[in-house]
Amino acid sequence: MDRRHFLASLGAAAVASQVPLKAAEGPASGRITLLHTNDTHSRIEPFGPGNGAISGKGGMARRATLVKQLRRQLGSVLLLDAGDTFQGTPYFNRYKGRLDYQLMRMIGYDATTLGNHDFDNGVGMLVEAMASMEQLEHRNPPFAFLNCNFDCKGAPELAKRIRPYLVRDFPGVKVGITGVGVAFAGLVAPKNHEGVSWKDPFESLKPVVKRLREVEKVDLVVVLSHLGYDVKDAGYDDLRMPGQVAGIDAIIGGHSHTFLDAPVKVKQAQGETLVFQVGFGGVNLGRMDFALARGEVKAASGAAMPVVG
Amino acid sequence: MKLKLSSAFLALALLPLHLAAQPPKVTAEVIPITEALPDDPEVQKVIAPLAEEIKASFGQPLVQAPQGLFRGRRGEENLLGYWVSDVMRQAAQPLVGVPVRFAITNAGGLRANLRPGQLKVGDIFELMPFENELVVVELTGAEVIQVVKEGLLRRGGEPCSGVKVKVEGTPQQATLTVTWEDGSPIDPATVVKVATTDYLYGGGDSIPTLKKGRKPFTTGITLRQMLLDQCAVLGKAGKDLLPPATGRYAVPVPILEAIRDKTFKL
Repeated sequence: MDRRHFLASLGAAAVASQVPLKAAEGPASGRITLLHTNDTHSRIEPFGPGNGAISGKGGMARRATLVKQLRRQLGSVLLLDAGDTFQGTPYFNRYKGRLDYQLMRMIGYDATTLGNHDFDNGVGMLVEAMASMEQLEHRNPPFAFLNCNFDCKGAPELAKRIRPYLVRDFPGVKVGITGVGVAFAGLVAPKNHEGVSWKDPFESLKPVVKRLREVEKVDLVVVLSHLGYDVKDAGYDDLRMPGQVAGIDAIIGGHSHTFLDAPVKVKQAQGETLVFQVGFGGVNLGRMDFALARGEVKAASGAAMPVVG
Repeated sequence: MKLKLSSAFLALALLPLHLAAQPPKVTAEVIPITEALPDDPEVQKVIAPLAEEIKASFGQPLVQAPQGLFRGRRGEENLLGYWVSDVMRQAAQPLVGVPVRFAITNAGGLRANLRPGQLKVGDIFELMPFENELVVVELTGAEVIQVVKEGLLRRGGEPCSGVKVKVEGTPQQATLTVTWEDGSPIDPATVVKVATTDYLYGGGDSIPTLKKGRKPFTTGITLRQMLLDQCAVLGKAGKDLLPPATGRYAVPVPILEAIRDKTFKL
């Protein structure tokens, strides 16, 4: 990431610091930082040598340090992930995703969504990994699995672990988070998603975003998307989402392993949506800052932060 | 549902919580983005013993390979590559539920020979250090022949499974014949399932026709895991890993040399 983008990312925080945290009248004002990863693919350790530009980058122990530093510095922080936590290193073959999810809880993730590779060992093993994370004894609470376009009626153990959305309250900002997953066809073998069927992600998002806005009264709507950034031959991707589903402030993307230096701003019916994705393997940590006043986004920016040792 | 945590991790998980939530400290500290990040000690304490376990697993025996499997020198066939492409084709079939007629990988991706004797997990990691994934696509018969031709012109023939390839004549005037492995002709219009790697399908190693593959099925299985699984199956059954038969590629040495010198055209 270049310095310009990083400085830009500080802009929102600077604006936010001038906004009074509690307005005397009307809804409050505040700021929030979204930290995020996607497609971490069991990269527990940093990439070894011989991996080109990403050699030596990443690693969950370093990510933990960076998250801790930013949490201490910023206070109002959500740590999120856009799916495909599983598959890619011997850690997955040996620990079946349990280690990934347990470490994510230790690092302090608030929520993730499910990518196609999270089904690689079937629904049963996915549920086992989720349960092992829930049962871990740790001061951090278990994180949430968010998805609104999988119908899990045929997989009750998975169904009870997936929520359509999550609402979190911060000083002056109420945040609603949901998630969507990519179609199984051609990506997940039928036996591995038994009992789970896929629904149109945009149509599934519409009522959830509406509920978050009108019933839950959130100030900021965030979508964890495992649809891909710019997928030419698919009907659904992150760049098309803002035009199809109004009212989303931030899309934390995954699936296409797209390395962006900073979020891309996409116009939509109710303003702008920040669309971001930070490659894969935990090489970078994404950061988006939002400053809100009286429930409206006044400034938004972000940057990819390299995870280097 | 039983938890199978490593003992080290479990012990750590059960430690009393010394680190109660601390009140947030507000500071004006700015974190330079280029600063090296130290490992978080709590997380690293979990990872370190597991990393040791993974490393130790590299010494685990898999299967006996009395003759070894070798990539072959110029003019020799790449039996190691034949084996890898055979395993790819075999592994792809149950995933797509229909016959997979052809598989191709790239010789450049096979990083070490398998020496005769007892194979260990680490040997497969040396052979296949990359995280390349098995992908199944659809091609026409004509495209399969074109894929073989592109691999031949670029590298003297990439390891493949399901076909027989014969080049006859001289570097100046040569003919290429590609048939199915049983010698039957390839109908140019027929549509077949083809197993390859995400690397080649993505345009790696200049086999451009592979990029035309339709209905891609990304299996999520790395080639390495597939080879490990195959070795384990043989080993458990008490069978040896033996090289596949020769005779898949028949290319005269003068033509191979002309390919190497980039003076050969088809």
